[in-house]
Amino acid sequence: MGRSLAFLIPFVSLIAGAVSGGQAAETVWSGLVIAENVAQPQAVPPELTRIEGSLKKFFGYNQFQVIGQSQKTLRTGQEDWLATSKFFGLHVDAQGESKAGYVLNLKLYKEKELLLETDAKLSKRSPLVIKGPQVGSGQLLLVLVIQ
Amino acid sequence: MKTFEENWTAWLDGQLSGRELSEFEQSLPDKAAAEAEKANARKLGALLKSELGAPSLTNEEFFSHQLRERIMRESSGPSVEHEAKASTWWTIQRLLWTGTASLAVFLIFTVFVIRDKNPAEESQYLTQILNARVDPVVSPNATVSMFEVKQDRVTVLWTEGLQSLPADYAAK
Repeated sequence: MGRSLAFLIPFVSLIAGAVSGGQAAETVWSGLVIAENVAQPQAVPPELTRIEGSLKKFFGYNQFQVIGQSQKTLRTGQEDWLATSKFFGLHVDAQGESKAGYVLNLKLYKEKELLLETDAKLSKRSPLVIKGPQVGSGQLLLVLVIQ
Repeated sequence: MKTFEENWTAWLDGQLSGRELSEFEQSLPDKAAAEAEKANARKLGALLKSELGAPSLTNEEFFSHQLRERIMRESSGPSVEHEAKASTWWTIQRLLWTGTASLAVFLIFTVFVIRDKNPAEESQYLTQILNARVDPVVSPNATVSMFEVKQDRVTVLWTEGLQSLPADYAAK
Protein backbone atom coordinates (compact mmCIF):
# COMPACT_ATOMS: atom_id res chain seq x y z
CA MET A 1 0.00 0.00 0.00
CA GLY A 2 2.85 2.37 0.91
CA ARG A 3 4.65 1.54 -2.29
CA SER A 4 1.48 2.07 -4.26
CA LEU A 5 0.97 5.52 -2.77
CA ALA A 6 4.59 6.44 -3.36
CA PHE A 7 4.10 5.49 -6.98
CA LEU A 8 0.77 7.27 -7.40
CA ILE A 9 1.44 10.61 -5.71
CA PRO A 10 4.16 11.86 -8.12
CA PHE A 11 2.00 11.08 -11.14
CA VAL A 12 -1.05 12.78 -9.71
CA SER A 13 1.07 15.80 -8.80
CA LEU A 14 2.56 15.94 -12.28
CA ILE A 15 -0.84 15.80 -13.93
CA ALA A 16 -2.30 18.36 -11.57
CA GLY A 17 0.65 20.68 -12.16
CA ALA A 18 0.42 20.28 -15.90
CA VAL A 19 -3.32 20.92 -15.97
CA SER A 20 -3.32 23.88 -13.64
CA GLY A 21 -0.41 25.52 -15.51
CA GLY A 22 0.79 27.31 -12.41
CA GLN A 23 -0.44 30.91 -12.06
CA ALA A 24 2.83 32.35 -10.79
CA ALA A 25 3.57 36.05 -10.40
CA GLU A 26 5.06 37.63 -13.50
CA THR A 27 7.21 40.65 -14.09
CA VAL A 28 6.42 43.29 -16.67
CA TRP A 29 9.29 45.36 -17.99
CA SER A 30 8.29 48.80 -19.27
CA GLY A 31 10.81 50.93 -21.06
CA LEU A 32 11.14 54.33 -22.68
CA VAL A 33 13.55 53.83 -25.54
CA ILE A 34 15.20 56.28 -27.87
CA ALA A 35 15.92 54.77 -31.27
CA GLU A 36 18.56 56.45 -33.37
CA ASN A 37 20.87 55.88 -36.26
CA VAL A 38 24.46 56.43 -35.21
CA ALA A 39 27.86 55.62 -36.68
CA GLN A 40 28.87 53.37 -33.81
CA PRO A 41 25.75 51.91 -32.22
CA GLN A 42 25.87 50.68 -28.66
CA ALA A 43 24.79 47.20 -27.73
CA VAL A 44 21.09 46.63 -27.34
CA PRO A 45 19.96 46.53 -23.69
CA PRO A 46 19.32 42.97 -22.47
CA GLU A 47 15.59 43.61 -22.06
CA LEU A 48 15.33 44.31 -25.77
CA THR A 49 17.54 41.51 -27.03
CA ARG A 50 14.67 39.19 -27.93
CA ILE A 51 13.00 41.85 -30.09
CA GLU A 52 16.11 43.53 -31.42
CA GLY A 53 15.56 42.18 -34.92
CA SER A 54 11.95 43.31 -34.99
CA LEU A 55 12.81 46.81 -33.75
CA LYS A 56 15.47 47.28 -36.40
CA LYS A 57 13.20 45.94 -39.10
CA PHE A 58 10.13 48.00 -38.18
CA PHE A 59 11.73 51.32 -37.29
CA GLY A 60 14.97 51.33 -39.29
CA TYR A 61 17.27 52.44 -36.49
CA ASN A 62 20.51 50.81 -35.40
CA GLN A 63 20.75 51.95 -31.77
CA PHE A 64 18.22 51.59 -28.99
CA GLN A 65 18.91 53.29 -25.67
CA VAL A 66 16.74 52.99 -22.61
CA ILE A 67 16.11 56.43 -21.09
CA GLY A 68 13.58 55.25 -18.50
CA GLN A 69 12.33 51.93 -17.29
CA SER A 70 10.39 50.06 -14.66
CA GLN A 71 10.07 46.45 -13.61
CA LYS A 72 6.85 45.52 -11.90
CA THR A 73 5.95 42.12 -10.52
CA LEU A 74 2.26 41.53 -10.93
CA ARG A 75 0.55 39.46 -8.26
CA THR A 76 -3.06 40.52 -8.43
CA GLY A 77 -3.11 41.94 -11.95
CA GLN A 78 -4.46 45.20 -10.55
CA GLU A 79 -1.21 47.06 -9.94
CA ASP A 80 -0.11 50.31 -11.51
CA TRP A 81 3.32 51.78 -12.00
CA LEU A 82 5.31 54.49 -13.71
CA ALA A 83 8.36 54.41 -15.95
CA THR A 84 9.94 57.81 -16.28
CA SER A 85 12.74 59.68 -17.97
CA LYS A 86 13.65 63.32 -17.46
CA PHE A 87 10.78 64.59 -19.63
CA PHE A 88 8.55 61.61 -20.32
CA GLY A 89 6.44 59.43 -18.10
CA LEU A 90 4.67 56.20 -18.97
CA HIS A 91 1.89 55.34 -16.55
CA VAL A 92 0.72 51.75 -16.70
CA ASP A 93 -2.45 50.66 -14.96
CA ALA A 94 -3.12 46.93 -14.91
CA GLN A 95 -6.84 46.25 -14.94
CA GLY A 96 -7.03 42.51 -14.64
CA GLU A 97 -5.48 39.26 -15.67
CA SER A 98 -6.80 36.76 -18.17
CA LYS A 99 -5.48 33.51 -19.51
CA ALA A 100 -3.93 35.38 -22.42
CA GLY A 101 -2.26 38.10 -20.38
CA TYR A 102 -2.97 41.41 -18.66
CA VAL A 103 -5.34 44.20 -19.61
CA LEU A 104 -3.37 47.44 -19.36
CA ASN A 105 -4.20 51.10 -19.67
CA LEU A 106 -1.16 53.05 -20.89
CA LYS A 107 -0.67 56.79 -20.78
CA LEU A 108 2.33 58.60 -22.20
CA TYR A 109 3.04 61.97 -20.70
CA LYS A 110 5.46 64.67 -21.80
CA GLU A 111 6.05 66.31 -18.46
CA LYS A 112 2.41 66.78 -17.39
CA GLU A 113 0.94 66.74 -20.87
CA LEU A 114 -0.87 63.61 -22.01
CA LEU A 115 0.38 62.70 -25.48
CA LEU A 116 -1.12 59.29 -26.01
CA GLU A 117 -3.43 56.84 -24.31
CA THR A 118 -4.15 53.26 -25.23
CA ASP A 119 -5.70 50.08 -23.81
CA ALA A 120 -4.05 46.80 -24.63
CA LYS A 121 -4.20 43.18 -23.69
CA LEU A 122 -0.54 42.35 -23.11
CA SER A 123 0.19 38.73 -23.89
CA LYS A 124 2.70 36.79 -21.88
CA ARG A 125 4.53 35.80 -25.02
CA SER A 126 4.15 38.89 -27.15
CA PRO A 127 5.86 42.25 -26.52
CA LEU A 128 4.12 45.55 -27.23
CA VAL A 129 5.95 48.36 -29.00
CA ILE A 130 4.47 51.86 -29.32
CA LYS A 131 5.92 54.43 -31.63
CA GLY A 132 6.03 57.74 -29.83
CA PRO A 133 6.97 61.22 -30.98
CA GLN A 134 10.05 62.16 -32.94
CA VAL A 135 12.80 63.31 -30.56
CA GLY A 136 15.68 65.11 -32.29
CA SER A 137 16.95 62.80 -34.99
CA GLY A 138 15.58 59.77 -33.18
CA GLN A 139 12.30 58.27 -32.16
CA LEU A 140 10.76 57.60 -28.79
CA LEU A 141 9.53 54.04 -28.43
CA LEU A 142 7.59 52.52 -25.57
CA VAL A 143 8.22 48.84 -25.01
CA LEU A 144 6.39 46.47 -22.69
CA VAL A 145 7.54 42.90 -22.21
CA ILE A 146 6.40 40.21 -19.80
CA GLN A 147 9.59 38.59 -18.57
CA MET B 1 19.45 -80.12 -44.99
CA LYS B 2 21.44 -77.88 -42.62
CA THR B 3 24.59 -76.15 -43.75
CA PHE B 4 27.92 -76.78 -42.04
CA GLU B 5 27.80 -73.39 -40.32
CA GLU B 6 24.38 -74.14 -38.83
CA ASN B 7 25.52 -77.49 -37.56
CA TRP B 8 28.76 -75.92 -36.22
CA THR B 9 26.80 -73.29 -34.25
CA ALA B 10 24.42 -75.94 -32.91
CA TRP B 11 27.37 -78.18 -31.94
CA LEU B 12 29.09 -75.33 -30.09
CA ASP B 13 25.84 -74.68 -28.21
CA GLY B 14 25.51 -78.40 -27.43
CA GLN B 15 22.25 -78.68 -29.30
CA LEU B 16 23.17 -81.59 -31.55
CA SER B 17 22.32 -85.11 -30.44
CA GLY B 18 22.00 -88.64 -31.67
CA ARG B 19 22.63 -89.30 -35.31
CA GLU B 20 23.10 -85.60 -36.16
CA LEU B 21 25.85 -85.32 -33.52
CA SER B 22 27.74 -88.42 -34.64
CA GLU B 23 27.48 -87.49 -38.35
CA PHE B 24 28.71 -83.94 -37.68
CA GLU B 25 31.62 -85.07 -35.48
CA GLN B 26 32.69 -87.57 -38.19
CA SER B 27 32.66 -84.75 -40.73
CA LEU B 28 35.08 -82.63 -38.67
CA PRO B 29 38.60 -82.69 -40.15
CA ASP B 30 40.33 -82.13 -36.77
CA LYS B 31 38.09 -83.07 -33.88
CA ALA B 32 40.63 -82.12 -31.20
CA ALA B 33 40.96 -78.58 -32.52
CA ALA B 34 37.20 -78.31 -32.81
CA GLU B 35 36.78 -79.40 -29.19
CA ALA B 36 39.33 -76.79 -28.10
CA GLU B 37 37.46 -74.10 -30.01
CA LYS B 38 34.19 -75.21 -28.44
CA ALA B 39 35.70 -74.93 -24.98
CA ASN B 40 36.97 -71.41 -25.73
CA ALA B 41 33.59 -70.32 -27.05
CA ARG B 42 31.88 -71.50 -23.88
CA LYS B 43 34.40 -69.68 -21.70
CA LEU B 44 33.87 -66.49 -23.68
CA GLY B 45 30.09 -66.81 -23.34
CA ALA B 46 30.33 -67.29 -19.60
CA LEU B 47 32.62 -64.26 -19.28
CA LEU B 48 30.30 -62.00 -21.28
CA LYS B 49 27.31 -63.08 -19.20
CA SER B 50 29.05 -62.31 -15.94
CA GLU B 51 30.54 -58.96 -17.00
CA LEU B 52 27.90 -57.33 -19.20
CA GLY B 53 24.68 -58.44 -17.64
CA ALA B 54 22.49 -55.68 -15.91
CA PRO B 55 22.84 -55.87 -12.14
CA SER B 56 19.58 -56.89 -10.63
CA LEU B 57 18.46 -54.87 -7.64
CA THR B 58 17.41 -56.51 -4.52
CA ASN B 59 14.32 -55.31 -2.73
CA GLU B 60 16.33 -53.30 -0.18
CA GLU B 61 18.39 -51.53 -2.81
CA PHE B 62 15.29 -50.74 -4.87
CA PHE B 63 13.51 -49.29 -1.81
CA SER B 64 16.45 -47.11 -0.82
CA HIS B 65 16.81 -45.93 -4.42
CA GLN B 66 13.14 -44.91 -4.53
CA LEU B 67 13.50 -43.15 -1.18
CA ARG B 68 16.54 -41.16 -2.28
CA GLU B 69 14.79 -40.01 -5.43
CA ARG B 70 11.74 -38.84 -3.48
CA ILE B 71 13.87 -36.94 -0.94
CA MET B 72 15.76 -35.20 -3.74
CA ARG B 73 12.49 -34.32 -5.47
CA GLU B 74 10.93 -32.85 -2.34
CA SER B 75 14.02 -30.92 -1.24
CA SER B 76 14.53 -29.35 -4.67
CA GLY B 77 10.82 -28.66 -5.23
CA PRO B 78 10.41 -25.19 -3.60
CA SER B 79 13.44 -23.61 -5.32
CA VAL B 80 12.20 -24.69 -8.71
CA GLU B 81 8.81 -23.21 -7.87
CA HIS B 82 10.48 -20.02 -6.67
CA GLU B 83 12.44 -19.72 -9.91
CA ALA B 84 9.28 -20.18 -11.89
CA LYS B 85 7.57 -17.51 -9.82
CA ALA B 86 10.48 -15.07 -10.17
CA SER B 87 10.60 -15.48 -13.90
CA THR B 88 7.02 -14.24 -14.29
CA TRP B 89 7.62 -10.49 -13.83
CA TRP B 90 4.35 -9.43 -15.47
CA THR B 91 2.02 -10.07 -12.63
CA ILE B 92 -1.50 -8.63 -12.76
CA GLN B 93 -0.62 -5.95 -10.22
CA ARG B 94 2.46 -4.85 -12.13
CA LEU B 95 0.54 -4.82 -15.36
CA LEU B 96 -2.04 -2.54 -13.75
CA TRP B 97 0.60 -0.17 -12.42
CA THR B 98 2.42 -0.11 -15.72
CA GLY B 99 -0.83 0.70 -17.48
CA THR B 100 -1.59 3.49 -15.02
CA ALA B 101 1.88 4.94 -15.36
CA SER B 102 1.70 4.86 -19.15
CA LEU B 103 -1.68 6.57 -19.07
CA ALA B 104 -0.34 9.26 -16.74
CA VAL B 105 2.65 9.95 -18.98
CA PHE B 106 0.34 10.06 -22.00
CA LEU B 107 -1.96 12.56 -20.26
CA ILE B 108 0.94 14.79 -19.25
CA PHE B 109 2.30 14.93 -22.77
CA THR B 110 -1.16 15.44 -24.20
CA VAL B 111 -1.81 18.39 -21.91
CA PHE B 112 1.52 19.99 -22.79
CA VAL B 113 1.02 19.46 -26.51
CA ILE B 114 -2.52 20.84 -26.42
CA ARG B 115 -1.42 23.86 -24.43
CA ASP B 116 1.43 24.62 -26.82
CA LYS B 117 -0.10 23.71 -30.16
CA ASN B 118 -3.77 24.54 -29.95
CA PRO B 119 -4.44 26.78 -32.96
CA ALA B 120 -7.44 28.34 -31.21
CA GLU B 121 -5.08 29.91 -28.73
CA GLU B 122 -2.70 31.22 -31.37
CA SER B 123 -4.30 34.67 -31.41
CA GLN B 124 -3.99 34.86 -27.64
CA TYR B 125 -0.24 34.66 -27.97
CA LEU B 126 -0.21 38.10 -29.53
CA THR B 127 -0.75 41.28 -27.64
CA GLN B 128 -3.92 43.03 -28.72
CA ILE B 129 -4.42 46.77 -28.80
CA LEU B 130 -7.98 47.46 -27.76
CA ASN B 131 -8.03 51.18 -28.52
CA ALA B 132 -5.73 54.19 -28.79
CA ARG B 133 -6.28 57.96 -28.45
CA VAL B 134 -4.12 60.97 -29.17
CA ASP B 135 -4.85 64.36 -27.67
CA PRO B 136 -6.29 66.32 -30.62
CA VAL B 137 -5.31 69.63 -29.08
CA VAL B 138 -1.63 68.75 -28.69
CA SER B 139 -1.35 66.76 -31.95
CA PRO B 140 -4.27 67.65 -34.22
CA ASN B 141 -2.94 65.75 -37.25
CA ALA B 142 -1.90 62.62 -35.45
CA THR B 143 -3.13 59.20 -36.56
CA VAL B 144 -2.73 55.80 -35.01
CA SER B 145 -2.64 52.39 -36.57
CA MET B 146 -1.80 49.01 -35.22
CA PHE B 147 -0.43 45.80 -36.60
CA GLU B 148 0.72 42.44 -35.40
CA VAL B 149 3.70 40.59 -36.70
CA LYS B 150 2.87 36.97 -36.02
CA GLN B 151 6.26 35.74 -37.10
CA ASP B 152 8.01 37.83 -34.44
CA ARG B 153 5.02 37.82 -32.04
CA VAL B 154 5.30 41.57 -31.68
CA THR B 155 2.39 43.98 -31.65
CA VAL B 156 3.08 47.54 -32.74
CA LEU B 157 1.03 50.68 -32.18
CA TRP B 158 2.15 53.03 -34.92
CA THR B 159 1.56 56.73 -34.52
CA GLU B 160 2.08 59.41 -37.15
CA GLY B 161 1.94 63.16 -36.80
CA LEU B 162 2.75 63.49 -33.13
CA GLN B 163 4.42 66.73 -32.19
CA SER B 164 8.17 66.50 -32.80
CA LEU B 165 10.40 67.36 -29.89
CA PRO B 166 13.97 68.62 -29.63
CA ALA B 167 16.84 66.26 -28.90
CA ASP B 168 16.97 67.44 -25.30
CA TYR B 169 13.93 65.31 -24.60
CA ALA B 170 16.01 62.19 -25.10
CA ALA B 171 17.68 62.84 -21.74
CA LYS B 172 17.48 60.12 -19.12
